[in-house]
Amino acid sequence: MTAVLQGQGLTKFFGRLVAVDHVNLSIERGEIVGLIGPNGAGKSTLVNLITGMESLTDGTLSFDGRALRGLSPSAIARLGLARTFQIAQPFRSMSVRGNVAVPALFRSNPAESVGAALREADAVLETVGLTAKGDLPARVLTTPELRRLELAKALALRPRLMLLDEVMAGLTPAEVDTEMAMLRKINAPGVALLVIEHVLRAVMGLSHRVVVLHQGRKIAEGTPANVTRDPQVIRAYLGSAAIPDSGAGS
Amino acid sequence: MNAAAQIALQNAVNGLLVGGTYATVAVGFSLVWGVLNVVNLAHGALVMLGAYVTYWLFTLYHVDPLLALPAAGAALFALGYPLQRVVINQVIRASFLITFLLTFGLDLLITNLALAAWTADIRSVTTPYSGGSIALGPVTVPIVRLAALLTAIFVAALLHLMMTRTRLGSAIRATASDQEAARLMGIPIAHIYALTFAIAAATAGIAGGLISLSFPVFPAMGPGYTLVAFVTCVLGGLGSVPGAFLGGLILGLVQMYAASWLGPNYDNIVAFTVLILVLLVRPAGLLGRGYRFRG
Amino acid sequence: MITAIRRHALPGRSAGVLAVLALGAALAFPAVASTYYIRLATGIFMFGVLASGWNLIGGYTGYPDFGAAAFLGIGAYTTGILMVRAHAPFAAALLAGGVLSIVTALGIGVVLLRLRGHYFAIATLGFMIVLRQLAANLELTGGGSGINLPGASTFTGFYYWMLAALALAVAAGIALPRSRVGYAVAAIRENQDAAQVLGIAPLRYKVLVYAASAFFFGIVGGIYAYWFTFIDPPTVFNVDFTIQAAVMTLFGGPGTALGPLAGAVVLKSLDTVLTNISVFLHNVFFGALVCLLVIFAPRGLAEIVRGGASIAETIREQLRESRI
Repeated sequence: MTAVLQGQGLTKFFGRLVAVDHVNLSIERGEIVGLIGPNGAGKSTLVNLITGMESLTDGTLSFDGRALRGLSPSAIARLGLARTFQIAQPFRSMSVRGNVAVPALFRSNPAESVGAALREADAVLETVGLTAKGDLPARVLTTPELRRLELAKALALRPRLMLLDEVMAGLTPAEVDTEMAMLRKINAPGVALLVIEHVLRAVMGLSHRVVVLHQGRKIAEGTPANVTRDPQVIRAYLGSAAIPDSGAGS
Repeated sequence: MNAAAQIALQNAVNGLLVGGTYATVAVGFSLVWGVLNVVNLAHGALVMLGAYVTYWLFTLYHVDPLLALPAAGAALFALGYPLQRVVINQVIRASFLITFLLTFGLDLLITNLALAAWTADIRSVTTPYSGGSIALGPVTVPIVRLAALLTAIFVAALLHLMMTRTRLGSAIRATASDQEAARLMGIPIAHIYALTFAIAAATAGIAGGLISLSFPVFPAMGPGYTLVAFVTCVLGGLGSVPGAFLGGLILGLVQMYAASWLGPNYDNIVAFTVLILVLLVRPAGLLGRGYRFRG
Repeated sequence: MITAIRRHALPGRSAGVLAVLALGAALAFPAVASTYYIRLATGIFMFGVLASGWNLIGGYTGYPDFGAAAFLGIGAYTTGILMVRAHAPFAAALLAGGVLSIVTALGIGVVLLRLRGHYFAIATLGFMIVLRQLAANLELTGGGSGINLPGASTFTGFYYWMLAALALAVAAGIALPRSRVGYAVAAIRENQDAAQVLGIAPLRYKVLVYAASAFFFGIVGGIYAYWFTFIDPPTVFNVDFTIQAAVMTLFGGPGTALGPLAGAVVLKSLDTVLTNISVFLHNVFFGALVCLLVIFAPRGLAEIVRGGASIAETIREQLRESRI
């Protein structure tokens, strides 16, 4: 079994509101899975369930064979599951380098010292192209740079799976291309990615497989080509108020 | 009724009576916390000032304390409005540490000015009816405490009506739940904040007046009541007048029973333990989901 | 408000030289100064320790501990009880006080540090009040009568004990931001949720720093007890210690290593001048000072000074940010 993430019957109730309804989701080692769906489909809740920020009402969830239910978010992170936030969450008054050193110090196989973590941070900053800003406090970064920082922090966790929450939002087509190239680079050594996106061009271009959520339920799953032709998916998107964005400006 | 049951019942009655006073102390504190998001460490000092207002009106002009309550309320209202508008308002959007320290500083200032003005001598208000009590079946109800409870209920009801039925109340609740939206609707935020604080100060003043009837009055009496207010709010849920009332009654009951069981010296320990338990088990308080000033 | 980055940082070597010089001067001081000034310096050192210790949890971690004096009381009483009843030597009793403070902090910390903001502040304050009430009711602590400690032969010992504690506290303040625990609590302070998804389990790190801060308050309590030879519940379980430490930290610059010490030096000196004029006025002025400081210099004097020529403009800008 090479599944890095295995979720069966994932369900989350908020009171009487069903946010996630018996969703089965599995991600293989090194795979890029896209997660799409109209607004309110339950994508963010699903991410919160996987990362332990919300508790499962029902279902089983395992990561590399380890059951995730009941684990704290930090324990799950230490297992090798990283996430980025939709709205970047930097440590504002810490330096950019310091921000990236944090996960290097607290993952399950941590850097040996603060100095080593800072050096490692420099290497990661190089990968995402933020080397020049290493000494600055994180709060002075622009929004795209903050996204890079989120990515860098997730990378420094040495994850086996990264959950990327709308990293393409608001980017120009050129920036989307650069971002896609970076994600492919990250994926190359075998890091699985779960890409939650509204920018369909990016999702379709990156993903080996796409999962579609609608009103908390999985309504389709398959290759990007098959999913875009699925009548249920088309109805879900056109039937709801949200019109899918196929790339900013296009 | 056997002796043990009678003692238990008397404790219950005593607890409820003092609880009403606690509620009046707490309700203004809850208002300021819920609307301005300020934990006013000087709240007890305002209570103290109210107690002194009634004391002096009684001692110098022989005004009955219960009749002096509106004066205490008015005086504290007049103090509270500029205090918020001019002083506290400067840091209202800063971190809670800042507002905490500021209200602490104000508490220090007010307490020491009172100390300078009136000395540390312990005062009390003794009216002709101070010692009297009514017998209701197996329990004895001291008249002043009963009057205090009735006044507390009256003030709470008045405040509740104001918050739910008047335009001012709507404005306050709107400001509490979304300051930006309220501002965009033309609500003068600074003025509303100052009014809210003034109202809260007025209730503190009235509470002080009620307290002066049954408890000693001295400049350093404030902090104990601030703690009471805090525990009551945590117990009953923040930003809710019925919550503050319920919290006050429960705290009063718990303290009475603890006092009869452990002795009077452990009241703070009891209050603190209750506080911690509630914070850990049900941080929203008992009526936390009641009408909340904040969304 | 808090910068983990030191602006205008001195290059390491000259800072080190300065530190050695300062320490040398401090060590030699009692040889040349009168008893009055030695006492004054000891008092300043004392608040330097309290402020630096408080800063660890209150400034740097972002959990303002309003009950820190609880540990001052624990240290004081432990030292007092051991010296009086077990005839222990001061050094041992002092250390025991520090250790007991740590142990207590670890125990109550795992409960209290789950709370945040206002709730944490009041809960810690409540903890101090509880200990005060316990001390007033237990026979072991002498109840309301307190404890009388034996007198020391000379005063100078206290100066050096307090200086040692200060050196330790400042060293802790310098070491923390560069350590792994320091990175954890800085991350927690900035954004606890983000810290968690990066592998930080918040509670253990907060508790560690809380215990360190408690140690310093405990040590000060022990020295205080032997110095003043009499302690009772309201004297040592006194929120004034905590508030002064907090205000000094705020004044000097929270989250910096030397800021709290600077704040302690300035405010304690001011305090002494005022007390010499009038004890009552001192209280009133302290209250007014706290209010003024908090309104006009919430990021500490350091930030104002950095504002450079336009101090008024810096103040005005801070006010604009914090008022309606």
